[in-house]
Amino acid sequence: MTTLAYYPGCSLHGTSAELDRSFRASMQALDIELAEIPGWECCGNTAAHSASRLLAIALPANELVKVGRDMGLDSVAVPCAACFSRFMAAEHELAADEQVRREVELVVGRNVPTGIKILNLVDVYHDAVGLQRFKAKVTRPLGGLKVAAYYGCLLTRPPKVTLAEDPECPTRMDDVLRALGAAPVQWSYKTDCCGASLALCEQSIVIELVRRIVADARACGAEAIVAACPLCQINLDSRQLDIKAKDPAWQPLPVVFLSQLVGHAVGVPAGQLGWNKHLTAVPSLS
Amino acid sequence: MTTISPALSHRVGAGSGVNSAKCYQCKRCTVGCPVAEFADLHPAQIMRAVQLGDVERAVRARFIWLCTGCQTCSTRCPQGIDVAAVMDELRMVARERGLVRKDAPFANILKLNLDSMKRWGRLYEVELVALDKLTRPSSLFDDLPTSLKLVAKGKVNPVPKFGDMRQMRRMVKVAKRIDESRGMQRIPIGDPESDMRVTEGGAR
Repeated sequence: MTTLAYYPGCSLHGTSAELDRSFRASMQALDIELAEIPGWECCGNTAAHSASRLLAIALPANELVKVGRDMGLDSVAVPCAACFSRFMAAEHELAADEQVRREVELVVGRNVPTGIKILNLVDVYHDAVGLQRFKAKVTRPLGGLKVAAYYGCLLTRPPKVTLAEDPECPTRMDDVLRALGAAPVQWSYKTDCCGASLALCEQSIVIELVRRIVADARACGAEAIVAACPLCQINLDSRQLDIKAKDPAWQPLPVVFLSQLVGHAVGVPAGQLGWNKHLTAVPSLS
Repeated sequence: MTTISPALSHRVGAGSGVNSAKCYQCKRCTVGCPVAEFADLHPAQIMRAVQLGDVERAVRARFIWLCTGCQTCSTRCPQGIDVAAVMDELRMVARERGLVRKDAPFANILKLNLDSMKRWGRLYEVELVALDKLTRPSSLFDDLPTSLKLVAKGKVNPVPKFGDMRQMRRMVKVAKRIDESRGMQRIPIGDPESDMRVTEGGAR
C-alpha cells in the first residue's frame, strides 16, 4: 500500500473540515494511506510572504524536513491549493539559490531534503492514484453530470513554481472528473481569481468576482462547480447568498470539492462526505 | 512633489528579485488583474513608479492592499517580471515605515494572520476574525448574514489547534535576525543624502 505524508493546513482543520474528511475517506477507499505530519505548523500563506521572504520559505521547508527526515517518506499530499503553492515556492527557491538554502537551514535548524514530491488535490488523484485505477474503483459513476472544473489561481500559477503544463487552460482536473463518469464543460473562468482572503474585508469585490465566475459556469451548462481549494470553495459557495440577496432571480449553483465527488464515485457513504456543510444546497447524487 | 529614491528602488529590486527596468509597459499585468478595476493604480502603474524610483507613490497606493496574489501578472509578463513579488515587497516597505493606509483593511488581516500563526503555530481563524472586528469596529456588522450562516452550518471551528509552537518561535526569531542583518529595514523614505525632490518644473 502506498503511504503519502499528509499536510492538511489550517483551513482543513477549520472552516473546510469537509475537505479533510472527504479527502481522507476517498484515500482510504482508494487504498492509499495518509500519514499526517506530526505537529505541523502553518505554511505562512500570504501573511508570511508579505512580511519576510525568508520566513515564507522556511515554514514549508520545515515541513519538508519532517516528511523526509522524520517520516522517511518521499511524497506529501497538500490538498489546500494555497498551502501547495507555498510548498512549491519553497522548493523552487531552495533549488534556485544556494544562499537561500543556507539561510533557510539556519532558520529551520536542520538540513532540508531535496526532491520531496509535493502533490495537490488534483495530482493525488491524477498521479498517485492514477486514472487507470479509477476504472476498477468507481462503483457509482457520476452519470454524465455536467461539471465546471475550477482551478482558481494557485494550482497552476506561476507555472515556473507549480510546474503546470498549461496554466491558462489546465485540464488535469477535467481528466479526473471524466474518469469518475462526469462530463466537464468547457468554460472561460476556470483559472480566474475568486478574490481569496479579500473575503474577510473587501466583500463587495469578492462578490463581484464570484458572480462572474459562477455566471459563466452556468452559461456554459454546468450543474455544479468543482473546487480543489478551501478558499475558492467557501467563496464561490457562500458569496452566492449575497448575490441572491440582491438579485432574487439568481439561480444558485452548487460548489463541491473534488474529493467529495471522488468519494461518492468510489462508494464512500454520503454521511462521510460533508455534503450538508455547504451553504448552496447540493442536490443528492444517486 | 515627488520623492525619487534610488536606494529604495534598489531595495524593492533586491527584495523581490525583480529588475523593474525590464518593464516596457505592455500592461498585460493590468489587463489580467482581477482587482485593478477596483483600485486606484493598476499593476503597470505600480511598476512604472518603482521603475522611476518613485517607490513612495507605489507604497501609498491602495492597490497593494487589494492584490490577492493570484499570480496572473507574474505568469503573463512577457519580460518574466515577478510583478506579484514586487507587491509583496511594497507591503513590507509600507509596514516598516508606517505607511499603511487607513482604508486598507487587508493590511490588518495580514498582520493578525501572522500574529496568530506565531502565537499558535497555526492560523486560528476565529481569533483572526474576532480581533479584526475589535481593531476595526466599523466592520462589526459587515458581512453578518453570511457569517452567521457559516456558523450555523458548523463551518467555524471555535477551538484552536496547536502546531509545534517551540519550533515556530525559533523560526520566527532566527528569520527576523537574518532579515535585519541585511540592513534592508534602514533605508528611509525622503533621505536628504540620496533622494531627489522633483516638482512639476523638474528636479532641484
